Amino acid sequence: MLRIDQYAYSNRLRFTHPVEKFAFAVITLIIGLAASSLITSLVITLLMAGVVILRAGIPMRFYLKLMSIPMSFLILGVLTIAVSFSGEPFSFLWGVKIWGFTLGVTAGGLQTAVNLFWKSLGAISCLYFLSLTTPMVQIISVLKRLKVPSLFIELMNLIYRYIFVLIETADKVYISQSSRCGYASIKTSYYSMAQLASNLFTKSYHNSQMLYTTLMARCYRGELNVLELPYAFSKKNVALVAFIDLGLVILALWTGGVLSAGGHS
Amino acid sequence: MFFLPEVILEARDIEFEYPDGTKALRGVSMGIPKGKKTAVLGPNGAGKTTIFLHFNGILKPTKGKIRFAGRDICYSHAFLLELRKNVGIVFQDPDTQLFSASVLQEISFGPLNLGLSRENVLRRVNQAMAATEIVELKDRPTHFLSYGQKKLVSIADILAMQPTVLICDEPTAWLDPGNAARIMDLFDRINQEGVTIIFSTHDVDLAYSWADYIFVMNQGLVAGEGIPEEVFQNESLLKEADLNKPWLIDVYDELKRKRWVVADMPPPKTRQELMSRISNSP
Ligand SMILES: Nc1ncnc2c1ncn2[C@@H]1O[C@H](COP(=O)(O)OP(=O)(O)OP(=O)(O)O)[C@@H](O)[C@H]1O
Ligand SMILES: [Mg+2]
Repeated sequence: MLRIDQYAYSNRLRFTHPVEKFAFAVITLIIGLAASSLITSLVITLLMAGVVILRAGIPMRFYLKLMSIPMSFLILGVLTIAVSFSGEPFSFLWGVKIWGFTLGVTAGGLQTAVNLFWKSLGAISCLYFLSLTTPMVQIISVLKRLKVPSLFIELMNLIYRYIFVLIETADKVYISQSSRCGYASIKTSYYSMAQLASNLFTKSYHNSQMLYTTLMARCYRGELNVLELPYAFSKKNVALVAFIDLGLVILALWTGGVLSAGGHS
Repeated sequence: MFFLPEVILEARDIEFEYPDGTKALRGVSMGIPKGKKTAVLGPNGAGKTTIFLHFNGILKPTKGKIRFAGRDICYSHAFLLELRKNVGIVFQDPDTQLFSASVLQEISFGPLNLGLSRENVLRRVNQAMAATEIVELKDRPTHFLSYGQKKLVSIADILAMQPTVLICDEPTAWLDPGNAARIMDLFDRINQEGVTIIFSTHDVDLAYSWADYIFVMNQGLVAGEGIPEEVFQNESLLKEADLNKPWLIDVYDELKRKRWVVADMPPPKTRQELMSRISNSP
């Protein structure tokens, strides 16, 4: 998660208009979810991989590693769909007989499973694109433009900032404990862990109190106003996004027949 | 030298007790001279941070009064806002002060609260970043900054509000010597523009060469005050507050004892001054 955050601030698309990136990710995501063709999902997955690796300059190895994280969930989930259990032995491509019933894979099940697999992967790619190229600060500023209530915006801001303070604090406490052999045996580990947790809690509480104090000292009046810098829209990028997504829609219509929300082929 | 300076911030017999019963201040009286650089010294737990928090109305004394520009401060919403526009505090720990992941947004918070226009705010943010030399950190997220860099951002936070009194809680702690010197230079420049500076420190050398006036606190009381030359000659005060002598005074005293320098001059305030006196001595 921290690596993703680091890339979000250092990738080559960092200073592209956040709305462009957000729109690209979300529109492509919707197309991918709505389209019912395998080829569209494949294209989206490859497209996002291409953009992330070639345009944004994220190392391929890191991206592949990221893609492999959801893989085990995906495969498990998809397997349960591919495998079915029925009294009719004829529709199975492959199966084992148990007491007159067949446990196996049908052609329909397999197809749904494969479609679902790529559709999920496509959707995940879109979200990875967004989180690898767009820092949280920019995502929040897009949400602000979309008129998400300021309470959520402020909470997101604070939570995001203080996740790192919390990690840093936990890190420091952990280092100081382990340098004094706090994790030498199972018994001391349990003890140290409990100490760490309670310490983090009191520190966070203290931090929140201090934060309020420091905000008050800067004339806080109940609203966390901050300056949004205007980004310049790039006509080229907008055209590119429109072109690519239009292409995807046409591809989806052409290969999948109709756009259906359910996604059955 | 000091000729009855105007007092901008004044604490009168301030007593304060934290909710848990710690008596942090036990009758503190301080008059901060206007347009000067004041240092507050004292061991850990002496009450430096606590008195600072009183100066911009964050804490309300159990007893006593704070006066700003000749008026008692009252704790109404409007008055406090006005006070906080004028008295800015840079806190000891930048991690509790920086609330935003973006350096630019962080610094813009204060000036936006002053009700300035966006252009004005942006100008002030840029000025503050230039003054603290953190322009190149503009697009970095706060959580990737080193502690010293965060400290610089937290100073820029308050600079951008352009207060008339700038309070800084241990400005040089955690800064490397280069950055510490740069911050003190920055304070000098702001001070020359008429801003009153108050800072707390554990660095006696810094306080000695840099401050116009010094308060020494100990156990919730002001143990002594005066111009640096006087405070650091007061052996009993230094002993009481557990403070070392600045090395300049130590060395100078030794030189005087050995009659290597002319004795009837006040001790030098900077390294250069000491050097030139040594080379000019008979
Ligand atoms: N939030 C708090 N709740 C209870 N007691 C506190 C709190 N903050 C400070 N104190 C206590 O008040 C006294 C004065 O603390 P203060 O922080 O003002 O000292 P300080 O001079 O700033 O010390 P340092 O040099 O360590 O920063 C100390 O005894 C401290 O333990
Ligand atoms: Mg303190």
